[in-house]
Amino acid sequence: MKTSLTALALALTATAAFAEYPDKPVEVVVGYSAGGGTDVMARTVAQFLEQELGDGASVVVKNMPGAGGQIGFTEVSEAAPDGYTLGSFNLPAALALTKDRAADYDVDSFTYLANFVEDPNTITVAATSPFQTLDELIDAAEADPGAITLGLSSLGGNDHFAANMMQDASGAEFTLVPFKGASNARTAIMGGHVAAGTMTLGQTSNFPDELRVLAVLADERSPFRPDVPTAKELGYDVQMSSLRGIVAPAGLDDATTDRLRAALSAVNENPDFQEMMAEQGNPIAFMVGDEFAATSAKQDGIATQIWAETPWK
Amino acid sequence: MYSDLLHALPDVFAWTNFAAVVIGVIAGIVVGAMPGLSATMAISVLVPFTFGLEPLVALGLMAGIYNGAMYGGAIPAVLLRIPGTPAAVATTFDGYPMAQKGEGGFALQVAVVSSSIGGIASAFALMLLAPPLSKVTLLFGPSEVFWVAVFGLASIIFLLGGNPVKGLISACFGVFVSVIGSDPIYGNDRFTFGQLEMLDGINIVILLVGLYALPPVIDLLETPLKTDGVNSSKLGTQSLWKALPRMKSYWKTWLRGSLLGIWIGILPGAGGSMAAFMSYNEARRTSKHPETWGEGEPEGVAAAEVANNADTASALIPALTLGIPGTAVAAVMLGGLLVHGLQPGPMLFRDNPDVVFGFMWQFLFGAILLVLLGGSLATNSFARLLNLPRPLLGSVIIVLMLIGVYSIHGRMFDVYLMLGFGAIGWVMDRLKFPLPPVVLGLILGGFAEENLRLALRIGRGDPMVLFQNWTSLILVALTVAVVVGPTLKKRFIDSRKKA
Repeated sequence: MKTSLTALALALTATAAFAEYPDKPVEVVVGYSAGGGTDVMARTVAQFLEQELGDGASVVVKNMPGAGGQIGFTEVSEAAPDGYTLGSFNLPAALALTKDRAADYDVDSFTYLANFVEDPNTITVAATSPFQTLDELIDAAEADPGAITLGLSSLGGNDHFAANMMQDASGAEFTLVPFKGASNARTAIMGGHVAAGTMTLGQTSNFPDELRVLAVLADERSPFRPDVPTAKELGYDVQMSSLRGIVAPAGLDDATTDRLRAALSAVNENPDFQEMMAEQGNPIAFMVGDEFAATSAKQDGIATQIWAETPWK
Repeated sequence: MYSDLLHALPDVFAWTNFAAVVIGVIAGIVVGAMPGLSATMAISVLVPFTFGLEPLVALGLMAGIYNGAMYGGAIPAVLLRIPGTPAAVATTFDGYPMAQKGEGGFALQVAVVSSSIGGIASAFALMLLAPPLSKVTLLFGPSEVFWVAVFGLASIIFLLGGNPVKGLISACFGVFVSVIGSDPIYGNDRFTFGQLEMLDGINIVILLVGLYALPPVIDLLETPLKTDGVNSSKLGTQSLWKALPRMKSYWKTWLRGSLLGIWIGILPGAGGSMAAFMSYNEARRTSKHPETWGEGEPEGVAAAEVANNADTASALIPALTLGIPGTAVAAVMLGGLLVHGLQPGPMLFRDNPDVVFGFMWQFLFGAILLVLLGGSLATNSFARLLNLPRPLLGSVIIVLMLIGVYSIHGRMFDVYLMLGFGAIGWVMDRLKFPLPPVVLGLILGGFAEENLRLALRIGRGDPMVLFQNWTSLILVALTVAVVVGPTLKKRFIDSRKKA
């Protein structure tokens, strides 16, 4: 009863807001260059969001690359909370960089609308690697602390946090090697220049014959690779992933917030959208509103803790 | 695989797909020829629009732009001593002296033929050898790539010019600029003065435009009344068919430059400018008359232009197979592929053979079209620009520079930065400091640092990690040969003169 009342109230406010919003183009700021994974997601969402907002609404993606996404995230946090500036939001990257440098925003600077993608981290070796299981890799790291090198896409990102949490959970010591980007790290693993890596499952998917995924750092096995065990099953309770969603500046009024959340939920339910995301290799993990905000707060806590215990610069 | 290659061919000739390549090549030449506008920029502007296009139309445009721009950069390099793209810096060495001697038309013809040959060689490498060459890329880990960068830096000694001390100061300035921004491992800020815009370092185009384009423009404006030594009536244009026989003897340079360009292309990071510099050096080193180089030797233009087009398609080999682009342009093109859901990796070739192999054909046709479109476009239209009154020409170039630099990230900060580099460039020019070492220092300095630090991290601080395999050792030997070789040769000649 209560939920149906809320739904009714939501529908009413949505209809009320419908009259005035949006009466000009809605901008989605992406903190990375056109053609990156986040950009492609934002453009796909934008295309379907236009349909959902209806009435000739226009949703435009604006790329503001630089400083690891910081320029774009800052732009969104400082924009007027009128519903005409939205932004793509990457976790944990967006919040991790508020720990290791001065940033003009924090976890509370945003209105959390909806998260679309969650790509779990993994422990991955080359197909030619002698390590067949996660335990073999960890045994080798315990036998000679630091001898096992882990290729990461950067310091202060989900790859790094995954490696750090894996070290804590297993007690093994790895040598962390931060490459410039996930593809460089993956290539170094394939070429045998580093022993293993923590790249996300999505980044392994096009290299089935070249890479061996030893474990997925998630609560449950991935539907994309049901054959790969989770680290939890193997006795290491570690979860880390890369998330991509849509946020607005903090202080967005309730009516517009609800309208956007409802529209984004409708985008998610559109089978065409689901199909396009699957084609792009984007694993959907839809979270709307408070659930997304709670995830963001949790990620913020993890980043704060890792930065306090083992600062990376 | 080769049947996939043939199977993809009919689609390429669908008229929209073919028209895309033609338009791309023309647009590329125009973009390349304008100082401040680069292929990287043109393609990144294009990427969002390609969201709604058919894959082969979008990719054909990109392949055309890439090929066209790598040649287009040579046009102002020859006519005005302003490299249109970073990769055209080495083209100025002999191209501009040729133009001053009234051989500008021939220089442009050499450039277009060489560019086309490099592009065709590169396209064949991509079409026929992509899988085996991607295995070569895997051999190059951080320590090996570090040695490649050192090998490239060693070629600075040929670029120092008459005064080695000034040349080294220039090179150090370039390396210093490469240090600006967040450091490649920890992300600590270096010389950014708290500016967010500086965190990613100095974009090569900003430095290049400031350093290379502003001083010649100031020259243009300083002497508005003096008639130009170069104008299109003195270009010495002749038909391409008459010019071709003069180029017969360049085949060795073309072959060497093509192989060098393809090799540099499959290594991640350095790209066209390094290929052009290295090809130029090697051609000069093996020339029978090295003293004419830098004074207007057409073979120098051939060496630079063949190599900077030979890395275009080959830079896509690591991009398509491994997701690591060989050049900045290949990086944006990868974005264009992602927009169409084409994820790099071996699966790409299995899942979307028609698009991938069609794209490769488009590269080949782009390179071939270059000769047809490039030759006449350059001599018939761009060269005419030189007949413009000099104040007008100078002003037009300044406007293009400002637009180009602003549009890289859409911010005025970069424009001020460019003007700052322009002031430095003007002073350096007046004081006869050579400019090429700055460019090479910036490109290779950061590249060398990043890979050295990664290698040392992998080796847990032990420098022996740098000498652990044959690939590294061969590169070390080559570097030593390049540095020590000419000195020994000079000593030998000197001692014979004394005797």
